[in-house]
Amino acid sequence: MLKIKSISKHFGGVKALNELDLEVGEGDIFGVIGPNGSGKSTLINVICGIFQPTKGDVVFYGQTISGKPTHQRLKTGIARTFQNIRLFPNLTVWQNLWVARNSVEDIKTESSFYRWFGKSIIVKKEIEEMLEFSNLENRADELASSLAFGEQRRLELARAVATKPRLLLLDEPAAGMNKDEIRDLDSRIRSLQLQGITIILIEHVMELVMGVTDRIAVLNFGSKIAEGNPQEIQKNEAVQEAYLGYSEDD
Amino acid sequence: MNETAGYYSKHSIMEDFLYEVVEITQAIWDGVLFGSTYALIGIGFTLIFGAMGKLNMAYAGAAIAGAYVGLAVSMVFDAPIIFVFAVSALVSTFMGYIVYQTCFRFIPTHNHLAALMASVGGLFLIDEVIVLATRGSPMNFPGLFEDAYFEIGPFGIRGDLIFVFFIGLVSTVVLLYVLFKTRLGMATRAVAQQEVAAQLCGINIHHTNSITFSIAGLLGGIAGAMTAAAVGVLSPVVILPLTIKGLIVTVIGGLGSIPGAIIAGLFVGGFENFFLYVRGIDERDMYVVALLFIFLVFRPNGLFSKTINRD
Amino acid sequence: MDFYLNLINTIGIHTMLGLSAYLLLQTGQLSLAQAGFFAVGSYTAAILTVIFQWNILPAVLAAMLLSGCLAFLVGFPALRVKGLMLVVATIAFSEFVRMFFYNLKWRVSREGEEIGPDGTMGFAEIRYFSDNGWSNLEVTLFLWTFVIIVMGIVWWSDNSRSGAVLRAVGQDELAASSVGINLTVIKVSAMTAGGFIAGLSGGLYAHQVTSLDHHSFTVLLGTFAIAYPILGGLSNVFGTLVAVIFIQGLLVEGLRFLGDWRMILFGLLIVLAMNFKPRGLFDQQTIGIIKRLIKV
Repeated sequence: MLKIKSISKHFGGVKALNELDLEVGEGDIFGVIGPNGSGKSTLINVICGIFQPTKGDVVFYGQTISGKPTHQRLKTGIARTFQNIRLFPNLTVWQNLWVARNSVEDIKTESSFYRWFGKSIIVKKEIEEMLEFSNLENRADELASSLAFGEQRRLELARAVATKPRLLLLDEPAAGMNKDEIRDLDSRIRSLQLQGITIILIEHVMELVMGVTDRIAVLNFGSKIAEGNPQEIQKNEAVQEAYLGYSEDD
Repeated sequence: MNETAGYYSKHSIMEDFLYEVVEITQAIWDGVLFGSTYALIGIGFTLIFGAMGKLNMAYAGAAIAGAYVGLAVSMVFDAPIIFVFAVSALVSTFMGYIVYQTCFRFIPTHNHLAALMASVGGLFLIDEVIVLATRGSPMNFPGLFEDAYFEIGPFGIRGDLIFVFFIGLVSTVVLLYVLFKTRLGMATRAVAQQEVAAQLCGINIHHTNSITFSIAGLLGGIAGAMTAAAVGVLSPVVILPLTIKGLIVTVIGGLGSIPGAIIAGLFVGGFENFFLYVRGIDERDMYVVALLFIFLVFRPNGLFSKTINRD
Repeated sequence: MDFYLNLINTIGIHTMLGLSAYLLLQTGQLSLAQAGFFAVGSYTAAILTVIFQWNILPAVLAAMLLSGCLAFLVGFPALRVKGLMLVVATIAFSEFVRMFFYNLKWRVSREGEEIGPDGTMGFAEIRYFSDNGWSNLEVTLFLWTFVIIVMGIVWWSDNSRSGAVLRAVGQDELAASSVGINLTVIKVSAMTAGGFIAGLSGGLYAHQVTSLDHHSFTVLLGTFAIAYPILGGLSNVFGTLVAVIFIQGLLVEGLRFLGDWRMILFGLLIVLAMNFKPRGLFDQQTIGIIKRLIKV
């Protein structure tokens, strides 16, 4: 459903992405790993429309979306989380979700008046479900900036999911998490997959990536050096060299 | 008889046209010379923008205030005119430092709104103090070389404007030397480019920023004194137009670019004087503003994009 | 009595002016264009009642419409430029409008008298209220009806989806566009709404003061317009009202005995306020404290 066709992204002389080809199937949990500077974040930004590719195309469900601005990509079903959490700090938890949910124009049946005041019953119910999903029910009226780190990460994820995406891009969601939180995140991601959302996971934390993904692509210096399921990637020499500077056989 | 009449009427159309060309060229020339003051103000705004990413709205106010103090001192002590200029420049330098401490230093870096409002408050303060002290009446400001006037063919060259331009030139050269050949200048550029990294290298940003504001204040003081010298009169009503023109010059030149500010300042000076000659004083400023809008639509980043480097 | 009614009128007009800047400020855009829209509203409404002999209500509404459309047109190019350049662009716009009206001469002869804007001499003879026998109290009530309506609309915005969206844009543009918010649409809408409100208050202002002079429409007015919501805090309509009452009531009128020292105090106050409470006197924190105090 998502095709990255020979994408290059140059920043001046730096080739952040170098003729990258990727294909993600519907319903997959697809991991993208690689050493720092390999282009993982640039890839997300290109898919989301924050950067325009220097060369190549992004094709989403058969449509080339390369020229579209970010907010329009959201409407076609692409949502993301940010590596350094970008919540709206002076809005409440509920408002953070509300603003996101309201970008989805699927509710035509209820009157606009109710919708605008957030009294739309459907929207209200869905946001409450999101709060439950993130264990944030009793924090609904608190400002996002007053949440604990783990809560903020859960809200960041919930806000992206609230937009009812078909594709969800997670940018290093496990950074700074302890083992319990990682396990929690693992089960959240799986339940999102069960809801039919395709997920691309950019991550450094190997236990999460190896545990939850169906396929993994490995980037180095903006190019793909390996692709396969988690077991294949773990044994791959090129990957070991990229990360460690040497492979097991050296 | 008819032939000669025809000859004279054709001749005088030609004469009229040439006369207009000469007058317009003269106006543009005088304007460009005067524009050196705009260039200095533009450099001042751009320096502060480059260093902190903020606009110091009190800037032109501090510049003119310095000119007033210089004038006041000269009225108390019977000092040579150069002394007036020097005092003005020094006072504005000090005021630049004060403006930093009161309007920028303690406000969180990301809060642009508050810093802007604070400097606007500072502008009011300075403006009102001047109005109060002078009871709103304009005062004569001395100029140098006022009687010098050279003629080259049909063109006249005002000595006092040449002096103003010369001072502007010297100031700019000295500034560039300080920025690019001294450690202080390097620290200023470092802070402008990467504030956090500069701190990690041991640079005290508050110290550096206050120096940047002081240097800008110095330039502003020179510009204020030169403006007053060229016009011959000092009045608080000149503060707001000077602020606006300075901002326009900074934006046209490109926020953060010194060469941009210089070129834009000279250009705006000439441009404005052209329209003064062609359309008169009431409409003149409207054209300057229109020039800004044209730039904003077609070249919003100005002539040169944000960089404090010479290239 | 008349003195107090005048003060109440001024407070009302400045509150509307402040609220016109409020919406756009919430999106994080600093615009000093409100003085320009205010001026357009003033002159338009005055020209309509004086030269074209319109009734006050359609005149003021027409002024509102014109200013709003102008704001819409100005919004598109203006909001393409970032942050501080917008400040410069809007200052320039306001000055342009002021200079335009400074040069506007449109004199008409009526009943042996010359009326209309007279270029550098200003625009006097805006006598609609007195010509039609309005008492001062009636003028105040008329004016404040509009003020209450505007306050109501802005309050409604704050508590509805549009308020949350405006503030989201103001807090983090990148995150906002990533959750599907079209930044340009929101910013231009806020600017347009501000234009409508400023034009409306300008139209009312012209008839209240009965004569217009270009000195009233300088950047200073635009600065007042943004000062009120900034001082009052950008999360509450009443903050702006309180700021207006404080500045106009206390400082301008109450301290009249200080004469010219008032402005110096005003400048000083802004500098102090911004240093100690950079998010406004009534920011989220302070409101939280007040709410808790009231509950106790």
